[in-house]
Amino acid sequence: MELVVRPLVALALLGACVVAALAATRPLSLALLAAVLLVLLLQASWRRARLFLLGIVVSSFGLFLIWPLTAHVGSHPLWNGPILPVIGSIDVTREELAAGAVQTLRLATVALAFAVWALRLDQDRIVREVRLARRSVLTVALATRLIPTLERDAAGFVEALRGRGVAVEGLRGRSRLLAPLVASSLERALTLAESMEARGYGRSGRPLRARVRLNWRERAAMAFSLLLVVFSLLWL
Amino acid sequence: MSAQIARVEKLAFAYPEATAAALTDVSLELERGEVVLVLGRSGSGKSTLLRALAGLVPHFHGGRFSGSVSVAGCDTRSTEPAALAGTVATLFQDPEDQIVFERVASEIAFGPENLGLQPGEVTERVASSLAAVGAEHLLERSTRDLSGGELQRVCLASALALEPQLLLLDEPTSQLDPEGAEAFLELVERLARERGMAVVLSEQRPALPLEICDRVLFLERGRLLLDASHAQAVRWLEENAPDFVEPFESVTRQAGDPGRAICTMEGVGYSYRPDTPVLENVSLELRCGEIVALAGPNGSGKTTLAKLACGLLEAQAGQVERWGRAGYLSQDPGRYVVCERAEDEVALGIEGDLARARRWLDELGLGGSERRHPRDLSSGERERLALATVLATEPDLLVLDEPTRGVDPRRKRELGELLRAGSPGRATLLVSHDLAFARSIADRVVSLAGEGVLVGA
Repeated sequence: MELVVRPLVALALLGACVVAALAATRPLSLALLAAVLLVLLLQASWRRARLFLLGIVVSSFGLFLIWPLTAHVGSHPLWNGPILPVIGSIDVTREELAAGAVQTLRLATVALAFAVWALRLDQDRIVREVRLARRSVLTVALATRLIPTLERDAAGFVEALRGRGVAVEGLRGRSRLLAPLVASSLERALTLAESMEARGYGRSGRPLRARVRLNWRERAAMAFSLLLVVFSLLWL
Repeated sequence: MSAQIARVEKLAFAYPEATAAALTDVSLELERGEVVLVLGRSGSGKSTLLRALAGLVPHFHGGRFSGSVSVAGCDTRSTEPAALAGTVATLFQDPEDQIVFERVASEIAFGPENLGLQPGEVTERVASSLAAVGAEHLLERSTRDLSGGELQRVCLASALALEPQLLLLDEPTSQLDPEGAEAFLELVERLARERGMAVVLSEQRPALPLEICDRVLFLERGRLLLDASHAQAVRWLEENAPDFVEPFESVTRQAGDPGRAICTMEGVGYSYRPDTPVLENVSLELRCGEIVALAGPNGSGKTTLAKLACGLLEAQAGQVERWGRAGYLSQDPGRYVVCERAEDEVALGIEGDLARARRWLDELGLGGSERRHPRDLSSGERERLALATVLATEPDLLVLDEPTRGVDPRRKRELGELLRAGSPGRATLLVSHDLAFARSIADRVVSLAGEGVLVGA
């Protein structure tokens, strides 16, 4: 499904969602935001979305597990564990679980907003239309493109290993690929940086931009973004 | 306007932490409208010379630089590469690694936008540069979906959109099939003549570029041994670097008993996306003792067939039978770097047998590099390491995917000899665009035409 507003406006909406997620303290508000973003994400191709969803589920679940063990709040203990050096007493309270759930929803919402940016927005247009912080936006766009590139590189390494009779199985087998993947990404990043410099990137003066005229729908979306930020800071 | 566009005087350069100089005492001049071919073995300094002309050496890479390079009157030591962008444009070896944007239109607009041109002029340059390379139809395509040849054209269009006076091409045809390479070089020659632009290109397959160039430079260990017109250069190459001009001789094998079948493929079909088959009803038999070369245009399914033969892909239609162990060497030697030491890399596929790993390293001229990190090896050494990792497994079926990409003629001959020497004990499938090399070592050459049809088998 095509977005009905230009990518720069959609980016403003996503930015407002992130601000709202960071400001909101009510689980229901956060769950609502996460649900809306999830619906938007699921309209992207499933093949590409599933990798992001897996990352979001794993990181959010990990945070939910760790949070009660490291926080020390609440007076309704559900479980009392040992006292460890540095960390202190390991216990789980009802309040810690509630706080952990809020943080988990917050992380999931921010991560979903990033996934929607990565999969549903035309980043080329954002980079070309943006007037502020173009370098930062370009950096984020390039980092986003790195995800499918890493996926392809990983497949290439697995294939090369299988081609010489080495099976890549389990967590240990796959963890062997981490260092070569990082190294090949760094090599690629250097080549790309060199190519960008050779094409005038970083030259003094800023690229000229055509004036962007917003239609009524886009103006309404911008106003909604602003309202969402104000509303989240005051009431969510 | 002066005819001279660039001048290099007593240039010497060494990369940071390198003990040997990449370039030593290089002096030359370039004139508008001429096509200059740079030849030399791997590691001779060809790419470094191109980077020096673009100002990327020393600005981007650092290192020790002496002498001077001036382009259109600008000294590259005092002018940043980005500031030279309107004058010089560079096309690097691997087009995939140069892509910044998702869509072709944005990719080509990137350079002109950085030059600070008006949006209307940027749009005009995007259209005209795509038209110049005959790729207007790619304007709205995703860069992710382009074939190697299409990507190469888009990268050339990106360079042309800068309207350079000096165009630098670093092995631009290494990923193209012979027809694609010929068309690409003809296009470059035409553009150089029409626009009065100087073109400097380095190549490892010199036959085609020798036909279009005006001058030839030959580098060896960073020194410029030859700077001569086309005719003089051919004579010099015949005497001093015959590998570069002597054609590979086609092998004639005496008919003997065919060995046992190692792999048979019957009516094989494969597609990566529904309704767009890459291969349909392809049959091929590979027997012990024979080398079969697999040719065909870009995108015809050669790599897919090679992966089906060695079991990296499962056929979606038809039948593949294999007897014995298969080994596969992919196009990218960087994929064979997962360990910290060269000997561990080779031993990985042979259950940690370091003695055997060292023997194979020695066999491939890498004796003494056993404990070096594979990423510290030169590109040529990495290619040999990748080959050693596969050969050490002593496969019954050896599948090599473009093993001569970026390899200089002498190394190609060495590779050919190595493959021929080992061929009696295995079946070898060689995927290559380099038909001269393929014919020189293969018992038979089969071609994949469009839609996966095998011809010439």
